[in-house]
Amino acid sequence: MRDGKREIEQMLTFRRGDFIALGIVLLLALGSGLLFFLGTGEKQQITVEICRNGELIDVFPVTQDRRITVEGDYPMTVIVEDEAVWVESSGCPGQDCVHSGRIYTSGQVIVCLPNRVEIRLVGGVPSDVDMVVG
Amino acid sequence: MKTTKTLSLCAVLLALALALSYTERFIPLQLLVPLPGVKLGLANIVTMLALYFLGEKHALALVACRCLLGAVFGGGITGLAFSLTGGTCAVVLMALCKKFLFLSVYGVSVLGAAAHNIGQILAAMALLNSFYVAAYLPMLLIVGVFTGLLTGMIASALFKALIAAKLLPT
Repeated sequence: MRDGKREIEQMLTFRRGDFIALGIVLLLALGSGLLFFLGTGEKQQITVEICRNGELIDVFPVTQDRRITVEGDYPMTVIVEDEAVWVESSGCPGQDCVHSGRIYTSGQVIVCLPNRVEIRLVGGVPSDVDMVVG
Repeated sequence: MKTTKTLSLCAVLLALALALSYTERFIPLQLLVPLPGVKLGLANIVTMLALYFLGEKHALALVACRCLLGAVFGGGITGLAFSLTGGTCAVVLMALCKKFLFLSVYGVSVLGAAAHNIGQILAAMALLNSFYVAAYLPMLLIVGVFTGLLTGMIASALFKALIAAKLLPT
């Protein structure tokens, strides 16, 4: 298909057309980012939801300071303090959930895949926005 | 003769892809960007090699075998779901984009990385039964631009060497 020397050369060097690819990906990132973080900041109404295997196991306002132990294959400790949520420790192999750090605005999530646990902050966002992304 | 040669080349590429995806686990990219699923995607270099030099079917078969064997060697079932959906999305999109002659290996690689991320997020949404995982997508896509350019650069250098060694792309 590409026998010509020039065509092979073009195939191997960064070209103007590649900016289209970069643009599309960055636009996608921006678009999906806007969907999730638009209109956040109303802290009063933010709720913490903790899900395991897709089932809601705990819901409470982020203003309540708590220390929760989530049972599962790898038990994890979740801290809620000063309207921020973070995973203090987890028995999971990857530790991504611990490295995720603190979340404090609506729409943010911490996911622990080995545990199939999802901790999310909801509310303070127009309710229809959450469904558009799928 | 031709098929035997291709078969053995595929086997070597499979071993190479597995070795690369294992090795990159030791590169602590997640300390820099602490998100699940963030990785360099070095195995995609091998996928692209198969795509450009052997053809679409070989590339798809290679990815499927890599994911299956990767799961056997330590990814587990959860890992399989993610790598298989991500990998398949990436190969399909790269095979399509390769036909657009205005894209070089760099563009194809970046789009492949993005497709891989989107596939993984879809798998995560299905597995966790939730839309909220998609909140990771923007950051994953942005990281994917950089890792995609890096793997594209390596692929470009590799292809140059292969062509110099009289192996021609299909």
